[in-house]
Amino acid sequence: MIEISVASGKGGVGKSTVSATIALRIAQTGRKLVVVDADADAPNMHLILGIDSWDWERPYSDSWVAQINQDLCTACGECYKVCPYQAIYVQEGRYYINEVICEGCYTCTLVCPVKGAIVRRQTESGRLRGVNTKYGFPLISARLNPGRPNSGKLVTEEKGIARGMSPDVVLVDSAAGIGCQVVSSLAGANMAILVAEPTPSSFNALKRVHKLTKHFMQPSAVVINKYDVNEGLTREIEEYAQENNMDLLGKVPYDDSIPKSMALMRPVTEAFPDSPASKALLSVADRVLEILDNWADWFRAFRPKRPEPYRPLIIKPEGI
Amino acid sequence: MKVAFAVDENRGLDSLISHRFGRAEYFVIVDTDTNSYKVVRNPGAEARSGAAIKAIQLLIKEGVRKVYAGSFGPNAMTALEEMGIEYVQLSGVPVKEALS
Repeated sequence: MIEISVASGKGGVGKSTVSATIALRIAQTGRKLVVVDADADAPNMHLILGIDSWDWERPYSDSWVAQINQDLCTACGECYKVCPYQAIYVQEGRYYINEVICEGCYTCTLVCPVKGAIVRRQTESGRLRGVNTKYGFPLISARLNPGRPNSGKLVTEEKGIARGMSPDVVLVDSAAGIGCQVVSSLAGANMAILVAEPTPSSFNALKRVHKLTKHFMQPSAVVINKYDVNEGLTREIEEYAQENNMDLLGKVPYDDSIPKSMALMRPVTEAFPDSPASKALLSVADRVLEILDNWADWFRAFRPKRPEPYRPLIIKPEGI
Repeated sequence: MKVAFAVDENRGLDSLISHRFGRAEYFVIVDTDTNSYKVVRNPGAEARSGAAIKAIQLLIKEGVRKVYAGSFGPNAMTALEEMGIEYVQLSGVPVKEALS
């Protein structure tokens, strides 16, 4: 099993478009593939693939909130005074907790004078779902409820479902950023495909996410999207990739067939196969197929030669 | 010395070492002095975030000096080094094979 994670650091640079193209191409070759949409805050792979219903869906819970037991509450208002998130509100002399705002810190339980008047309750964070797409591979996706933080645990659960299907390839479309869920998207992956566009913010984010792939000693490849909007910066990204032994898979031109295909909820390579962007994306996907065919050689050539651990900043409390 | 192995499925010393550290389901903790072992659930597996830190707290409590897993995240590596716990990157092989 080979696990490929597609990441970018910055959002909106084309991760899902690149992922969808690669997924379709891998599935066409008859390899058993499972795609994971690891961005539960803003899942969009199903939109690109035109999916409007799921084969299965189940609630996902990993967060807790405080709940006031109205039978026991004496309405003293102590909890209302201390809640650091101001998640408690008063209505007709009674106190209630706004579950969207509550972070489950339980400061309220520390000051509540009545035993059992405020309890911990697990709350639904979102939903996990899956579907067999018409393109010949299953998609595992998740959707978080408003105010519920994304988590590495959720991504790990999604990837666990995908791995459990024993596919040849797992393709993980990661979230933006380099936080907990992106660490979980990359951890255990055999290859990272990093998507960038030639803008200062995307280039900076690429370097940040690259620090993570170096930490995990993963071979990394680069795709430059909308490369022609700033060819000078595109050259800089190419040089960065070369200096850091990252495999440049290809460059995709700016092309309005991509937003048009999104509006149609179809992969661009299917909706507008002859567009310049589709041709470039397909050539990227073909490079991925070559890599899969020559996996051992490619892995050896692009795996970082030595570990470069990513050191988070440690702030120690005084006296420890 | 106590050595821990991150595993996802509990099959005693036949358990395969997990590709993850912080979110592995269990730790097989082997005491090499007494040739005994026990299996404990990893509290990190249930954590929304900070999984590795919870796992390391468990290892400290159990007196583990060395741990095996497939990969260690940035926070995991830093905290293990701070606590002087040796870590070894290895996965997919049974615990008893890694021990020998």
